[in-house]
Amino acid sequence: MIHHVMGVDGTYPLLLTLWLLPLLGGVLCWAFGPQLKTAAGWLASGALLASFVLTIVAWPTATQNLNGAVGAHQALVSWMPGFDFGLLFDPLSLIWTCIITGVGFLIHLYSIGYMHGDRAFARFFAFLNFFVFAMLTLVLSDNFAGLLIGWGLVGLASYFLIGFWFEKPSAVAAARKAFVINVVGDIAIMMAIFIMIAKVGSVGYGDVFSHVAAFGPTLFAVCVCLFIGAAAKSAQLPLHTWLPDAMEGPTPVSALIHAATMVTAGVYLIARCAPLWNASPDAQLLVGTVGGLTALVGAILGTAQWDIKRILAYSTMSQIGYMIMGVGVGAYEGGVAHFFTHAFFKAQLFLGSGIVIHALANEQDVRRMGGLRKKLPFAFFAMLIGVLAICGLPGLSGSFSKDAVIQGALEHGHPWLYVVGVVTAGITAYYMFRMLFLTFTGAHRGEIDPSHLGMRHPELVGTPHGDSHSEHHHAPAWLMNVPVAILIVPTIAAGWLLFGGGASWWATFFATTFAPETLPAAPISEMATTGIVLLIVALGFLVAYLRYGRMGDAKAAAEKLRMETVHAFPALTNAFYFDAALDALFVRPAAWLGALSAQILDPHIIDGAVREIVHLARSLGNGVRAVQSGLLRAYVLLVVGGAVVFIAYYTLIGVHR
Amino acid sequence: MIANPTTQVDWNGIAPIITIAVTALVVPFADLFARTHAKRWVAILIGGLGTLLAAGLCAQQYGSTGTVFGGAFALGGFTVVFEEIVLLALFGSLLLFATTMQERRVGGSVALMLWSACGALLMAGASNLMTVFLGIELLSLALYCLCGMNDRPASRESALKYLVLSSTASGFMLLGMALLFGASGSVALSSLTLGGLATSSFLWSGSALFFVGLAFKMSLAPFHAWSPDVYEGAPMPVTAFMSVATKAATLAVLARFLYAALPTGMSSAFLLPIWILAGLSMLVGNLGMLAQTDLKRLLAYSGVAQAGYLLVALAGTTALGLRYAIYYLVAYAIMNLGAFSVAAALSDEKEAGSALSAYHALASRRPYLAAMMSLFLLALAGLPPTAGFLGKILLLSTGVATGYWWLAVLLILGTAISLFAYAKIIRAMYARPDGKAQPELPVAPWPAMISIALYGIALVVMTFYPLTPSNIVPFVR
Repeated sequence: MIHHVMGVDGTYPLLLTLWLLPLLGGVLCWAFGPQLKTAAGWLASGALLASFVLTIVAWPTATQNLNGAVGAHQALVSWMPGFDFGLLFDPLSLIWTCIITGVGFLIHLYSIGYMHGDRAFARFFAFLNFFVFAMLTLVLSDNFAGLLIGWGLVGLASYFLIGFWFEKPSAVAAARKAFVINVVGDIAIMMAIFIMIAKVGSVGYGDVFSHVAAFGPTLFAVCVCLFIGAAAKSAQLPLHTWLPDAMEGPTPVSALIHAATMVTAGVYLIARCAPLWNASPDAQLLVGTVGGLTALVGAILGTAQWDIKRILAYSTMSQIGYMIMGVGVGAYEGGVAHFFTHAFFKAQLFLGSGIVIHALANEQDVRRMGGLRKKLPFAFFAMLIGVLAICGLPGLSGSFSKDAVIQGALEHGHPWLYVVGVVTAGITAYYMFRMLFLTFTGAHRGEIDPSHLGMRHPELVGTPHGDSHSEHHHAPAWLMNVPVAILIVPTIAAGWLLFGGGASWWATFFATTFAPETLPAAPISEMATTGIVLLIVALGFLVAYLRYGRMGDAKAAAEKLRMETVHAFPALTNAFYFDAALDALFVRPAAWLGALSAQILDPHIIDGAVREIVHLARSLGNGVRAVQSGLLRAYVLLVVGGAVVFIAYYTLIGVHR
Repeated sequence: MIANPTTQVDWNGIAPIITIAVTALVVPFADLFARTHAKRWVAILIGGLGTLLAAGLCAQQYGSTGTVFGGAFALGGFTVVFEEIVLLALFGSLLLFATTMQERRVGGSVALMLWSACGALLMAGASNLMTVFLGIELLSLALYCLCGMNDRPASRESALKYLVLSSTASGFMLLGMALLFGASGSVALSSLTLGGLATSSFLWSGSALFFVGLAFKMSLAPFHAWSPDVYEGAPMPVTAFMSVATKAATLAVLARFLYAALPTGMSSAFLLPIWILAGLSMLVGNLGMLAQTDLKRLLAYSGVAQAGYLLVALAGTTALGLRYAIYYLVAYAIMNLGAFSVAAALSDEKEAGSALSAYHALASRRPYLAAMMSLFLLALAGLPPTAGFLGKILLLSTGVATGYWWLAVLLILGTAISLFAYAKIIRAMYARPDGKAQPELPVAPWPAMISIALYGIALVVMTFYPLTPSNIVPFVR
C-alpha cells in the first residue's frame, strides 16, 4: 500500500521542541520539586511560554501548501507496516496548539497565585505540564494510534488533577468517575482503530482518509465508535455526568482541562475526521443531534445549580454541545471557531470565579455570595465581559462563533437543530446572568445561616480544599489578575477573525483543511439569525434580571432563595436522573457480575480449571522426562523410529501422488 | 548447471569464512607463545577480532547477487543475515570463555569453536547438497571435540552421545541427499525446482531423510533427545554457541530448501510432517522445561520449543513469514546469549551458574544480573517489553494468516506452559534470602557485564523495530 502522509514531509526542529518542552518542564518539576519550591511554577509557566512562542514562530510551516499538501509532517518512528508515528502540524492542529500553549500559559501563571502555599505545589505543576504534553501529543499526532496515546494520557492527567486534593473523598470519587467514563471512550476509539487496521491496514490519517471507500458499510460503525470516544471526552449525552463532578479539582484545572482544552478533544477528533463524517450522513445526523441535545440539556441543568463552578461546568457541557453540533452537521469552521472563542471566555469565567472562591475562603455556593461587585470589582468586570461574550453580545467573540454554528445547522439542512441552538442561547443568557446577579449584585448573604438559605448540608459547605490550603498565605493579587486581564482582550476581539463570512480570515485559514462546499442559500440570512438570537438572549437576560436582579435586602433575598431551593423541580436537582440511569444500567449489573465471579466463577470454575491444567502439565512433563532416560540406545531408537515414520509417510503419500 | 571452471573465482564471497579459518589457525600458535596467565584473554582477543573482521567483510556482501564456486555457495542478503547471526553467536560465546573453562583449554577450545563457526557459515550460504553436508560435518566434528573439553565425566558423556547420535542422523541425511541427487541428477538445490519432479518418489523419500537430518540438528521433537544431555554436559560457551549457531545455520538450510528448492506445484502434504514436528516440539520442549533443575538443560528444552516457534513462521512459506522467522531468530539469539552470559557471569571453571539453585535470592546479592536474567527469561517466555513478545505476535499472525491456525493454538498453549518454568526462576531470584550460607559469587570481568547490558538493550529496542530487510527473500530464489 502506498503510504500517504498529510502535510509536507520534512524535519521540523521547532515542532519537536514545542511538543517536548512541556514534558521536560513536567519531568523537572516532578524530579526537583522539593528543591524548586515556588520556582516550579515559574519553570512550568516558562516552558509553556516558550512552547507558545515557538508555535507562533513555526506558524508558517503549518500553513505552507505544497501541491495540495498542507502543513508540516515530521516522521518519528516506523513500527510495523501501517504504524508510522509522526507529528502533523496543519491549520487544525495549529489552532489547538495555540490555545493549549497560549491559554495554558496564562492558566499556569494564574495557578502560581492560586496554588500559593499548597503542600504539593511542584507536583501540581508537574501534572499540569504533563497534561499539556499529553494534549499536544493528541493534537499533533499524524495517526490514530498516536491520537489514542494522547487521548489516554490526557485522561490520566485529568484523573491526577481532579483528585489532586486526594484528602477529600468527593475529589477521589470524582476523579475515578471521570477516569472510568473516559476509558469507555478510549475503548470505543480502539475499536474504531481495529476496524481501520482490518479495512485499510493503516492507522495514519493520510492512509485512512484517502481510503474512506474501503470501509464500505462499516464506515458508520467507525464513526459511531469514534463518536463514543468523543462523547466521553467532551461530556456529551449520556456520558457527560463526570464533568460537573470534575469541578472537585482546583479551579485552574477546571479552566484548563475541563473548559478550554481537554474536553474539546472530541471536537478536534470529529473535525480531524471530517472526511469520514462527510462520507456518512447518518453519522453526521447522529453527532449533530446529540450535540444539539447536549447543548439544550446542559443549559437547562445549568439553571438549577447553586455551585458557581457547577454552573460553569454545565455551561461548558452546553457550549461543547454547540461545537459538536457544528462539526457534526458539517459546519466544521463554525464548530472549530466556537472552540477557539470558548477557550478564551470560558477560561476567563473560570479564572474569574477562582478569584471569587479564593477571596471567600473556598466558598463556592452562590447563595452565600451576593454584593461582591464592590469587594471584587476586577473579578466582576472580567466575569461580566465573559458572560456577555458567552451570551453572544454582538461584537464580542462568542456571538460570531455561536451564530456561525447555529446558522451552519440551518445551512446544512437541520432546521430543528437551528431552533435548539436559538432556544439554548436564550437559556444560556438566563443562567449566566443568574450566576452574575447572585454573585455580584444585591446584598451580601455570606453571614446568613446556611439553613436559612435552604442549604441541606451546611456542614459540608466551605470545606477547605486541603488541610494545608486553608492556612495558606495570600499570593500577590496581580499574579491572578494579570492572566485574567490578558484574556479579556481575545474574549472581546477573537471573534473578529470570523468577520466577513466566506472571505473572512478564518475561512481563508481553513480553506485547505475542510473542503469548501456550495450550499443552497438558507431561508434565514445570517443577519436575521443574529437578530433572532439577540432577541432571545435579551429575553433570557430579562427573566434573569426580574428574578435575581432585584431581590431586595439580604433577608428577603435569603427567603426567596430558600423558597426556590425547597420548591426546585426534582428532575432538575437530580440532573435528569442520568447518574441514576447509568448506575442502574451499568454500575449495578457490573457489580453484580463481579460478585458472581468472585463467589462462584473464580474459585470453582476458573481456579479449578487452572489447578487441573497445572496437574495435567505436570504429568505430561513427567512423561517427557521418562523418555529422557539418558541411555544412548534409547535415543538412537527414538531417532531411528522417527525416521521410519517419516520415510513411511513420504513413500506412502509420494506413491499416491 | 555446471559453471565454467575457468571463471574468475570471487574470493570476496567467502572472505568471512576464510577470515574465520585463518583466525582458527592463528589462535593455537598465539596460545603456544602467550604467557600462562594471558592465555585466556589472548585467545578471546584474537578470536573476537577475527569475528569482528569477518562480520565487517560479511556486511560488505549484502548487496551482491549470484553464486560462487560453480553454484556451491550463494551470495546475497539471505546468506549475509544468517552469517551475521552465526558470527553474533560466535562472538557472544567467545566472551563466555572469560569466566568458564580451565585456562589451559581455552586456546584449543576457541580454535575449535572458530572451525565450527566456519561450518555454520558454509551452511548459511550453501546452495548445493555437497556444501550443505560439508558445512554440517565441519560444524559437528568441531562440536564433538568441544563438548568433551571439560574434565567432568558429564562432558565426556555428552561428547560421545553427540558423536553417536549425530552420526546416525548424518547417515540418514546423506542417504537422503543421494536420493535427491537421484531425482534431479544434480547436487544443485536449484535443479530440484523443475515442475516434473513434484511427484518423483526419489524426491519424496530423499526429502524425508533429508528432513530427518535437519530436524535432528535443529533438535525438533522427537529428534531432540540428545540436546538436554549434550547441553548439560558441554562447557557453557559451547552450549551457548550450539544453541544459537547450529539452529540458525540449520534453519538457513531448511529455509533455502523450502523456498528455493521445491518443485513448483508441490502438494501441501509434502511439508505437513515438518509442521507436525514444529507443533510437537512446542509441546515437548515446553513441557520438558517444567521439572528441570539445571539451567542448561532447561534452555535445551526451551531451544526445542523455540525451534518449533520458528517453524510456525515458515508454515505456508510466505515471504513475510521468512522475514518474521529471521526477526525471531535474531531475538532468540540475543535472549539465549543473554541468559548464558548471566549464567557465565555467575560461574567459575566449575560452572556453578549452571545449577538453578544458584539463582535463589540472586536479586539481593547481584541485583543487576537478576534484573537482566529476568528480562531474558521474559523474552524467552514472550512477554513485553521485549523482542520475544513482538516476535511471537509476528509468528502468530503468520500462522493465522496462512491458515495454520492449529500451529498458532499450539504456540499459545506452549507459551502458557513455558511461563511456569520461566516464572519459577524469576520468583526464585526475587525470593528473600533463606539465611543459609551461600557460596561466594565470582566477580565477572567488565566485558561480560557490558555485553549483558547490550543484549538487554537490543531486546528492548528491537521491540520498536520489527522489520528485517525486505530484500532478503529475492536472494533466496
